[in-house]
Amino acid sequence: MNARGRQEGNAVTQALAQIGLCGLFLLTLLAAVPRSFRYVRETIRQLWFVGAMSLTIIMVCGLFVGMVLMLQLYHVLSIFGGTSASGMVVALSVYRELGPVITALLFAGRAGTSITAEIGLMRATDQIDAMELMAVDPIAYVATPRFLAGVIAMPLLACVFCAMAIFGGHLVGVSWLGIDNGTFWSNMTAEVDVHTDIVNGVLFKSLAFGAVVSLIAVFQGFTTPPTSEGVAYATTRTVVASSIAILALDFVLTAFLM
Amino acid sequence: MSQKRSSYAVGTGLFIVFGFTALAYLATQTTSVANVHMGASYTIEANFANVGQLKERAPVKVAGVRVGQVQSITLAPGKEIAEVKLAIDKRYETIPVDSVASIFTSGLLGDQYVGIQYGNSKKDVADGGTLALTKPAQQLEEMLGKFFGAGGVADNLGGTYSVTANFTNVGSLSVGAPVKMAGVAIGSVQSVQADPVKLDARVTLAIDKRFNQIPDDSAAAVFTSGLIGTQYVAIQPGGSLDALKDGDEMILTQSAMQLEDLIGKFLVNGSPGDKTNAGTGKSSDTPAGKH
Repeated sequence: MNARGRQEGNAVTQALAQIGLCGLFLLTLLAAVPRSFRYVRETIRQLWFVGAMSLTIIMVCGLFVGMVLMLQLYHVLSIFGGTSASGMVVALSVYRELGPVITALLFAGRAGTSITAEIGLMRATDQIDAMELMAVDPIAYVATPRFLAGVIAMPLLACVFCAMAIFGGHLVGVSWLGIDNGTFWSNMTAEVDVHTDIVNGVLFKSLAFGAVVSLIAVFQGFTTPPTSEGVAYATTRTVVASSIAILALDFVLTAFLM
Repeated sequence: MSQKRSSYAVGTGLFIVFGFTALAYLATQTTSVANVHMGASYTIEANFANVGQLKERAPVKVAGVRVGQVQSITLAPGKEIAEVKLAIDKRYETIPVDSVASIFTSGLLGDQYVGIQYGNSKKDVADGGTLALTKPAQQLEEMLGKFFGAGGVADNLGGTYSVTANFTNVGSLSVGAPVKMAGVAIGSVQSVQADPVKLDARVTLAIDKRFNQIPDDSAAAVFTSGLIGTQYVAIQPGGSLDALKDGDEMILTQSAMQLEDLIGKFLVNGSPGDKTNAGTGKSSDTPAGKH
């Protein structure tokens, strides 16, 4: 957890050290899970903060993603006379890719940054050291609850995002562009499968993204230099690293799950 | 503090409930699970010689209205017959036993569905009964085959002779397209070139030697097979006593009809802008369709 450990060496060794530290930090977090059961209220408070408070942005974004997706698909599919399939394509693309990925990107921006900034400031103002003096394990009290809350919140948020996207697609497709309501749903239900699309697509991916984003956010917060500049830098790094990790992991997961 | 804590707890609880509600909604309403739970329905059977691309859960329609869905498609054991079970909504119980079940395609490229045309019988088909009269799916390939007939056969016979024809517009006529007389292929298009002098399209046709009695005043026209089919050259025989010989040119030609032009003529017929169109200028003074 020593932030100064990565000051030496060139860029490659620094990056490797960063990844290594992050991996070790994950093990520390997981090891602290049983100890953090004492602080279950803290986990719930974090869940409220990263999950429930993110609902607004997730719902609004989901709605608009579904709407714009339907608008685009309708115009492309009308070339081939296949507009009746647009509801199904909206559902499949949202479940398999857009839902988990956009939710995770928004989650990194909305919740990941604030976790990093909060922990970073705790470090800068010596609150973490104070906890250690009071014999409160800062990993079990600060890090693990936030990590667990992120892992739990992401799949739920992704589900809400997908539901809103379908609603938005329905709004534009059926109410505005005049796709038949029955066709919209029957084509969707004919092609969407619970296991491949909902479980493997939405749930599994968003669970993985939730773990990665929360891990990066907590790790960046804990390893930030205890200065105001360091906190700002760590917050930026959380967004950048999370976004890259989400999109790269998405490709890997898709390749494995398909 | 405890007040604040409980508000966190309630908010978090609401969030979790909301998330799981969304999950349940996604899983049950937008996936194949939704099709398992149907309203009260009864099953009738229909045997088809060919179901084409018909899928399970495809709609069953009467007069275009959905009355049920395809429950299962199985091959009858030992026979080349597809047994299709149709789950029909209980509300539509009165289907005459002599009704005809056909497999249709929605639109040109759409999904296939089962259409039921009512018969005249007083007896209705019962639960588990069979519709004896069926029409199999139309295979596009068979239909195209009918259009083209023995298209390309002329290529194999070796003995062909060439005639040329000049068109002002060949549309999307391509090399190898059939040449037909009375709808039967008698040759193929050998080359399509732009004429550098006359500034039109010069098409060379290779015609089977067996058809050497074609009058030399016959007309060649570029037609389209069906609405979206490929284009071909049709020869309309004339009345001359002399026959076309190798290397002759066909004088009378009719260019490809452009669908856009055609529709344009329908739509703007009678409007002032159409007067520039040679040949139709006069008739367009009196709007068509008005008496």
